[in-house]
Amino acid sequence: MPLEIQIQQNIGDRKTGAVTVKLAGSLDTATAPELERRLLPVLAGPVKDLVFDLAQLKFISSAGLRVLTVARKQLKERGGQPAFVNPQPQIKEVFDIMQSLPGVPIFQDLAELDAYLAARQRSHEKTA
Amino acid sequence: MNNAHKPSAAANFAQGLCPPPRGLTLELHATPEEVMRAVDALRVFGQGRHVAERMLFGLALALEECASNIVNHALQRDARQTFRVTLEHTGSAMVIELRDRGPEFDPTQAPAMAKEANDDDRPPGGRGIELVRCYTDEMQYRREGGENVLRLTRRLAAPTGPK
Repeated sequence: MPLEIQIQQNIGDRKTGAVTVKLAGSLDTATAPELERRLLPVLAGPVKDLVFDLAQLKFISSAGLRVLTVARKQLKERGGQPAFVNPQPQIKEVFDIMQSLPGVPIFQDLAELDAYLAARQRSHEKTA
Repeated sequence: MNNAHKPSAAANFAQGLCPPPRGLTLELHATPEEVMRAVDALRVFGQGRHVAERMLFGLALALEECASNIVNHALQRDARQTFRVTLEHTGSAMVIELRDRGPEFDPTQAPAMAKEANDDDRPPGGRGIELVRCYTDEMQYRREGGENVLRLTRRLAAPTGPK
């Protein structure tokens, strides 16, 4: 099962400054390096909020979690953090078992995510 | 009796004439792509035996983690090296056996993940073993003839989520 990665800024009506990374397929030992490579230019920029859309992610292993954890660490160093939306139950279960991303918000739908990002944007504007 | 033209068990299975073979052994090279080839084979093997999808997810994860450990640590990603994975459906359990000729390593002795550890400082190794423990009922290790032999068992009657 391959991994498809789509990286988009400001999807639809959202003007939150967040970058969305849509993952579809399998984030595993064979595909994790590709995600790491694709995130490099994103994390080299000023982004603070990175949203991982996991609706189509079917499988994740510790190799995949490691890439997400590294991204979290890099964002944290600049006052940012990742968020996850629409994880399938088995993916959420792996997150829970590993407690890999403590404090990182996980949203079940886009409306919850939009409210969160809007609040984050207001917070960024205040501190700018 | 001349068996020259007797159909093989695999051919009979393909025609729906007999139950699927009980086991499958794969010889794999020490690369991440080969790990995922084993995982794909496990999915097909399990689906052919009507193993529940959620249970297959956990078994696939356990196999991915253990095989990745072999490839990355025991065999140092040397693609010339090989390891073996055997999949077995016993009727009451799914069993995965992994064999490699790397240095002796018993993953069942790996310490449990510290819950209070700061995630940023926690080494990536050891995370995988935690998942294997969660998604299998038994994890048995032995050193045999210069090989690491790791046997993972998941009882089919068990709940489909992690324990």
